[in-house]
Amino acid sequence: MSAKRLQLLGGVLFAAIIAVPAFVESRFILHMVTLIFFYIAMTSAWNIPVFGGKMSLGHAAFFGLGGYTGAILYVKFGVSPWIGAAAGVAVSLLGGVVMTLPLLRLRGPFFTLASIAFAEVLRMIAIDWRSLTNGSVGLNIPFKPGWANLTFQSGKPFYFLSLILAVAVVFVAYRLRHSALGFHLRASASNDEAAQALGVDTRRAHFIALLWSSGLTGLIGVFYVFFIYVVEPSTMFSLTLFSLQPALNGIIGGIGTIWGPVIGAIVMTPFGEYLRFYLGTIQQGLNYVVYGVVLILTVNFIPGGIVSLVRPKRSNRSDGSGSSSDTKEAR
Amino acid sequence: MKKPSWTLWLVTTLLMLTIAGPAAAKDLQIGALYPRSGSLALLGEESWRGAEIARLEANKKGGVGGDQVVFVNADGHDVAAARAEAERLIEQSKVGLILGSYASSRSMAATEVAARKNAVYFELGAIANSITERGYQTVYRTCATAFNFSKSQSKFIAEWLAPQLNKKPSEVKVSIAHEDSDYGTSVADSFKNAAKEFGIQVVSVEPYAANTSDLSPVIFRLKKAAPDIVIAVSYAQDAILLSRQAAELKLGIPLFGTGGGHSLKSFQEALGDKVEGVLNVDFTQYEVSSAFTPGLKEFVALYRETFKEDPKSGHSLANYMGTKALFDILAKTKGSVEADAFRKAALAMDVPEGATSTGWGVKFGENGQNQRANPFIMQWRNGKLMTVWPKAAALMDPVLPK
Amino acid sequence: MELIIQVLVSGLLIGGVYALISVGLNLIFGVVRIINFAHGEVLMLAMYAAFWLNKLFGMDPYVSALLVLPALFLFGVLLQRVIVQPIQEASANMQIFATVALSLILQNLALIFWKGDFRTVQTSYAMSTLEVMNIIISVPRLIAFLVALASILLLYGFLKHTFLGKALRAIVEDNTVARLMGIKVDRLYLLAFGLGAAFTALGGILLIPFSSVYPMVGGPFTLIAFIVVVLGGLGSMSGTFLGGLFIGVVESFGGTYVSPALKEAIYFGIFILVLLVRPQGLFGKGKGTEEIGLK
Repeated sequence: MSAKRLQLLGGVLFAAIIAVPAFVESRFILHMVTLIFFYIAMTSAWNIPVFGGKMSLGHAAFFGLGGYTGAILYVKFGVSPWIGAAAGVAVSLLGGVVMTLPLLRLRGPFFTLASIAFAEVLRMIAIDWRSLTNGSVGLNIPFKPGWANLTFQSGKPFYFLSLILAVAVVFVAYRLRHSALGFHLRASASNDEAAQALGVDTRRAHFIALLWSSGLTGLIGVFYVFFIYVVEPSTMFSLTLFSLQPALNGIIGGIGTIWGPVIGAIVMTPFGEYLRFYLGTIQQGLNYVVYGVVLILTVNFIPGGIVSLVRPKRSNRSDGSGSSSDTKEAR
Repeated sequence: MKKPSWTLWLVTTLLMLTIAGPAAAKDLQIGALYPRSGSLALLGEESWRGAEIARLEANKKGGVGGDQVVFVNADGHDVAAARAEAERLIEQSKVGLILGSYASSRSMAATEVAARKNAVYFELGAIANSITERGYQTVYRTCATAFNFSKSQSKFIAEWLAPQLNKKPSEVKVSIAHEDSDYGTSVADSFKNAAKEFGIQVVSVEPYAANTSDLSPVIFRLKKAAPDIVIAVSYAQDAILLSRQAAELKLGIPLFGTGGGHSLKSFQEALGDKVEGVLNVDFTQYEVSSAFTPGLKEFVALYRETFKEDPKSGHSLANYMGTKALFDILAKTKGSVEADAFRKAALAMDVPEGATSTGWGVKFGENGQNQRANPFIMQWRNGKLMTVWPKAAALMDPVLPK
Repeated sequence: MELIIQVLVSGLLIGGVYALISVGLNLIFGVVRIINFAHGEVLMLAMYAAFWLNKLFGMDPYVSALLVLPALFLFGVLLQRVIVQPIQEASANMQIFATVALSLILQNLALIFWKGDFRTVQTSYAMSTLEVMNIIISVPRLIAFLVALASILLLYGFLKHTFLGKALRAIVEDNTVARLMGIKVDRLYLLAFGLGAAFTALGGILLIPFSSVYPMVGGPFTLIAFIVVVLGGLGSMSGTFLGGLFIGVVESFGGTYVSPALKEAIYFGIFILVLLVRPQGLFGKGKGTEEIGLK
């Protein structure tokens, strides 16, 4: 597909997306599309460090930090969610620094493992720090509709908010990938030592990428909390929902690329929800079995993700996905 | 080889997405939202079965207000799913009424959705106090709250246990050991409040994670606190582990369960004779005065007939009773779930205690909470969970646990 | 003082089981170089197998090991052949996801076939105890500890003194060189995965007399095993053993003296700290860890 046709297609799609709420009456469809936007944003944010080959399975940590900050400020101190969003970004950036600085010394699987541990520690702290977080019971966003409170009767505002988030994050990811930083990251992913030898400060590049990623994830977390009304530890710091799911979306779509996460989220979110509706109640657990099988098939047969089918192999495959480059790192 | 595999499943996904059609129009559709996969699947499923039996029974008798009742089932296996499912039930399946949901955190999210859309939510099994404390006009709850549990426990300690120990209630020392999810935490908090009302001292609180394989630290801490009795709030496997390790490490302080794992048959099986005398407060279980719980025997028979096994716990019974109360209201509104008409019929309902299959009465307060759902105290005796208090529902008198 | 010793003993006993499960993971991780997120599910299957053999045929859980261990050895071989081998050359990230998917499948198949019930084996000795100088020791936990210790020693001997064991160690040290030396690496992968699964299964057998089994039981053990392996150092059996005991003791003391709810957080915290200060592991030799991502 040529770049021009791709652009045209993108334009048409975008117009259609904007028009959806005008035509779609069903709030459920709106809800689903909103979820898709959230996951596009989440997956794209998660994907930024992957440019450099750093795959985290602990992004729920940033998501939770952001979400909790926004919710605590609003529910306990009456601070506007909009200020809360800024604070949420700040706190998750701080979390990003705390996690990133030390963990950057680790590579490949060890980085992944340590990131899981990081999110788990935060989950347990959220359970234990009752005075701040209300423990496992969590906090509820009271229903006071209005833009100032980021709470709405209709589903449309969140449709557009999540759309803006998704577009913004994808845009940031795009800019980063095509900046000097992006090249440094990709150089590091394909051969870290060679990149360093050429004078690239790869650690600094990874650090900045992870900070972008954590800050954006925290921002998404704040909006998500006001979307779902409830904040509690096992949801906000959920390994499956917010650490694994973005990564799965990325894998299915094609990690380390710009469009892979977008496509992955668009395909996997309705797929997952669908399986839950129609298989989960027929036979409990069956939905996850299907999910797992699909994943294994994908990893086996299209390791480059869906984008690798749409865009046939190019010579420039430093995307980190399925390339021989980060195989080396693992063995 | 490569291409067909993904196109195939993409196409099937799209196909499957399009075949979701609405059911026949003549039926009364009700959403049934329970966690039916994941870690809460066991009792989520058990809860759903109670509601399902009430539905089958009503349909056999000609339905509710002449309509057959159909459940649109949904799996709220985590909070995000519960919220999405509530949204789907109301918006896509067009149900005006949802019942559920066993787990408090799921219920909090789902009721929030329903309240904002002015749809009726009938909670039958989740006990967190906050569900009916938000003042939503369309949220009702038939079952007892965490505070009701704690109040029954505290009352029992003050009125029965304290005299047995030759102490005043204010001299009785209590520790709380609870699993640290929303269930354990909210029950533990309620107990602290209820204990205050009766002047009982809470000397220590020990939270723990339910999926652990070693609870000896909790036992050591309880030994140090040396209370007269331990209030335990546990799920299934940790209830077993806590009791086993208490026995192994010679804790020597009786445990007082708070529903959950302490009521399960697997608890009794795993502990053998060590279960004798363990106290428990819970939804109504099956060894209870039949004069006080009309309809319970019939429920058990229906359960066996439908699911070919005995009920696993009282969750199914509580959901059955609540669903029947719901059907009574719907019969009065002739199947209408319009919020105001429903509320009028619901608030008008007045069933005394001892007149339903759980022995609970039905009288909704302004906040939608059933004021007459008081959990009973039970005790494991000769391998059975016998109701021992209050007297009206009891089959025998309690004995001092060892 | 008495309490301190009691807490220490409790920690060591559970730590022995952690060590055993981690040894299984270390074999797989060290030799096949794959992060197996379905490790806990192997444990879960073994526990279910012991449970059903007991329930249906009245077989003692310890005796059932004779059937369960070979079965899970084969299961491990099968996993390596069917799931892992096709992605052996794929990136580490892809491998992680294949095993995550596998764990999802196994957990939910267990839920479908055996429901969400918590199953517990009844034995006459489940709650029997020994008392040594006022210190109480649970018999099944003591058995678990001793058997774990013995089997780790056995594995140690196997790796040290047999040809196959030496070949396995050679792969841990340097995969490529081992291949060049004519070692049939792919076959040894099968062996390593099978052995790893069997050791983990033994852990499950030892747990079942005092622990319940349910479909999600494996998750926490997977994480613990990873932590222990990293603490102990890759390819080091003695390190893994000490790492397992260490985690058990940390958990026990943290639970008793800080808060039972935070005991996991404490050892996760220690895990991150150790990775930072001594990434080759507390007891690791530091050799061969470089290339798989530790510097």
